[in-house]
Amino acid sequence: MRIVIAGAGEVGSHLAKLLSTEEQDITLVDEDAAKLSVLDANYNLMTVVGNPTSFSALRESGVPQADLFIAVTPYESTNIVSCSIAKTLGAQTTVARIDSYDYMNPDNLKYVNHMGVDRVIYPEYLAAQEIITSLNRSWARHWFELHGGQIILAGVKLREGAPIAGMQLKDFAFTNRHFHVSAIKRDHETIIPRGDDRMQPGDILYFTTTRDHVSDLIELTGKTERRMRRVLIMGGSKIAIRLVNMASDRFRFKIIEDNLDICHLLPQKCPDCEIIHGDARDTDVLADAGIADMDAFIALTPNSEANILTCLTAKEMGVKKTVAEVENIQFISQAEGLNIGTVINKKLLATSTIFQLLLDTDSSTSKCLALADAEVAELEVRPGSKITQAPVKDLKLSRDMTLAGLIREEAGMLITGNTTIRPGDRVLVFCLAGALHKVEKLFS
Amino acid sequence: MKRHHRTLLFNVPMLLKVIGILLIIESVFMLFPAIVSAIYGESDWIPFLLTAAATGAVGAALTIWMRPTHSHMGKRDGFLLTASVWVVFSIFGMIPFMCSTNPVGVSDAFFEAMSGFTTTGSSVLTDIDNMSHGIHLWRAMMQWIGGMGIILFTLAVIPMLNHSGGIQMFNAEVTGITHDKIRPRISQTAKSLWMTYLGLTVILIVLLWLGPMNLFESICHAFGAISTGGYSTHAESIAAFKSEYIEIVLIIFMFLGGVNFALIFKCVRGNFRDLHTNDVFRTYVGIIALMFVLFVISILYVGEAHTWADITVEPLFQIVSTITSTGFTVANFENWGTFVLSLTFVMMFFGACAGSTSGGAKIDRILYLFKNAHNELYRCIFPNAVLSVKVNNKVVNPDLVNKVIAFLCIYMLLVVGGGMALTACGVPLIDAFFSSFSCISNTGLGAGITGFGGSYDLLPDIAKWILSLLMLTGRLEIFTVLVLFMPSFWNR
Repeated sequence: MRIVIAGAGEVGSHLAKLLSTEEQDITLVDEDAAKLSVLDANYNLMTVVGNPTSFSALRESGVPQADLFIAVTPYESTNIVSCSIAKTLGAQTTVARIDSYDYMNPDNLKYVNHMGVDRVIYPEYLAAQEIITSLNRSWARHWFELHGGQIILAGVKLREGAPIAGMQLKDFAFTNRHFHVSAIKRDHETIIPRGDDRMQPGDILYFTTTRDHVSDLIELTGKTERRMRRVLIMGGSKIAIRLVNMASDRFRFKIIEDNLDICHLLPQKCPDCEIIHGDARDTDVLADAGIADMDAFIALTPNSEANILTCLTAKEMGVKKTVAEVENIQFISQAEGLNIGTVINKKLLATSTIFQLLLDTDSSTSKCLALADAEVAELEVRPGSKITQAPVKDLKLSRDMTLAGLIREEAGMLITGNTTIRPGDRVLVFCLAGALHKVEKLFS
Repeated sequence: MKRHHRTLLFNVPMLLKVIGILLIIESVFMLFPAIVSAIYGESDWIPFLLTAAATGAVGAALTIWMRPTHSHMGKRDGFLLTASVWVVFSIFGMIPFMCSTNPVGVSDAFFEAMSGFTTTGSSVLTDIDNMSHGIHLWRAMMQWIGGMGIILFTLAVIPMLNHSGGIQMFNAEVTGITHDKIRPRISQTAKSLWMTYLGLTVILIVLLWLGPMNLFESICHAFGAISTGGYSTHAESIAAFKSEYIEIVLIIFMFLGGVNFALIFKCVRGNFRDLHTNDVFRTYVGIIALMFVLFVISILYVGEAHTWADITVEPLFQIVSTITSTGFTVANFENWGTFVLSLTFVMMFFGACAGSTSGGAKIDRILYLFKNAHNELYRCIFPNAVLSVKVNNKVVNPDLVNKVIAFLCIYMLLVVGGGMALTACGVPLIDAFFSSFSCISNTGLGAGITGFGGSYDLLPDIAKWILSLLMLTGRLEIFTVLVLFMPSFWNR
């Protein structure tokens, strides 16, 4: 697929690197030649120096032949203008990164489309959604559900003393037919397990299951379900504002922000929320804010290190669930290792949206979840595709992917070696980084 | 997370495996001379077949036995692989010369092979007219592969290298200051460039065949001309054909061989505007035009203008042949006087456009140098003026200008150093410097024109090795080879 990405910022370069390893044709446009030259010399992609809103730069970067145009500069209006130009020049699908809810509002959708923007990415919105999911399912690290919860993929960290700790997968599968262990994250590396792998304490296990068996899963992994109510947020960032607006009916939020100017603006933007001025890295401030009574602590400052460390402090002070925004990808697995409940990364969330577009350009129903070094995708099976030709065990799938579950006739079921996949099924695939294009081939 | 296995400085198994694959490709290329020799009923098909078998066997062994744990290749791997591939190719490529019907020694054979792959085209073979067809074809093919680049060819045909390691190798091999990718993926870029190259070669073969050359000669000369190598099947080079048609056709295609192939590719795709706005291309044409005027004046001055061809086709042929570093010579070049010879020096230094198959320092760099020199002089008068080097309507980053100037300085130092090393081997002063210059710029004009004697075969063996190293350094544009001599390249 020919993809043009405008903006070599954090999201843009991450996408470009990732997509170039997925065997896509990537052209990256940015005004900053220094940023581009590093990427150009080290990754399999082409770069064009130019303004993303200039016709000539977009023409030069091959927008007229592009299948996908992604505008991810830091400025919303630049992105929209850039998409608009790209669409006029002949790009098939355009995606713009936005940072206000206005452009996502279904009432305004018609105007947004009219401007030439087919899809929008709103990383702050996605992040807020992710946080709400993690607050609702406080026992899981990741929660990914398909088709109204018919199939669920849950990432759970295994504690010492859990009933299934130390068990071999084949024994586990023998006694628990309703679960499929799709992947194990151990020592900063994700692996697709085989029958003789053991589930060790400290692993993050990705279970696929159906809705009826979720409660069994909580039991097996030695977790308890808690209802979250009082939530303390560190940092009045855009994500925090979005989160409070989306979920203040279910949770009681309190925001600690150390910039007084921002503190004065916050009551306007998040009406039902208590604002405290202070530095949350100070334990006294945390204690004053009533950290001991809080159910969850969410760190959303721009500083990843401060977020991680403050979450650890909060954990020591008795908070059960912590969420940290970690923008450096290499810190994510460190943070997960340090018992941070859920890690939020805007880049990965934006990537999920793009992968979704890559896999299924015509349908907007499929979902995708990008993890630090793996992807989870829902794919619709088309008639005649390679995957339907034999039972799963005879497909000779490569070892960096696994088929976890499927939805057939509105009902979820797990996939075993004897399952034959039929056209029309929606399949949940778990694959390691760089293998998505193999999955794509299998389904076409 | 991303795999954390950078424990070794180099990914040696991966390097050896890639070299193995490349050797298999070389052995396939060697089969062609074997077949041709067999068709012409020459005994040389045996050494070629044996060499191909040996090369293929070594390649296959490396490919099968080397099991790299990971395929990551860093900058160091890229430099080391690119430089060593050229050496390994020459080592295997020299075997046919050593066991043909007119065998030569190791030094001569290595020099000949390196001279072929680097498209230098200077020969140590004395009895060229009596070489077998197999040897002729192999000499031509070496140039043709080396012209566009061994690595580039591999990138085009092996999908395995389509990752960051491939890019490191691409950067280490392709000539020029910056490396223009014409398509997003490295393999597509390589394919487009090679298709352009192949297309031009086929057209040239047909055009030459229409003239007084037979098919075999036209293939050999087409390979030698488009790659700007300069091996001929005759000792007298192109003059043996006494045909102005051949000369005119070769002028056009040598000229094209000196143009940036990305630019040619764009023109083939119908984008002629770039041609017009490209400063380097315009300078290239301008230099040729200027040289033509100077040549004609010199020829008239020394009274060598006997026919119309002497002041039209002949000087133009010599100019294009020199500036593109091809090194074909016309009949009475020696009689045109010393001023022409000094102009030849200048053209050998300049070379043609970056991203072409030609050698030399490349006009791009000369353009940077002159624009920067102009700025420096201007600054003497207006010390506060803010000036920038502008090429192709784009302001060039000062870092890049520094890099270019460093390149040119090192280039000159290498010429001088090489020349001095040759004098230490007992080569006369002028010939030493001329040979050193001719080899590093990959021109390969015979040292004979300075009155040294027939060709490079009279040089002592040690001098041939020095010149081989210079050819490689020149072809890989200095940095790729010299970086291997940095202690910090081998230490962490």
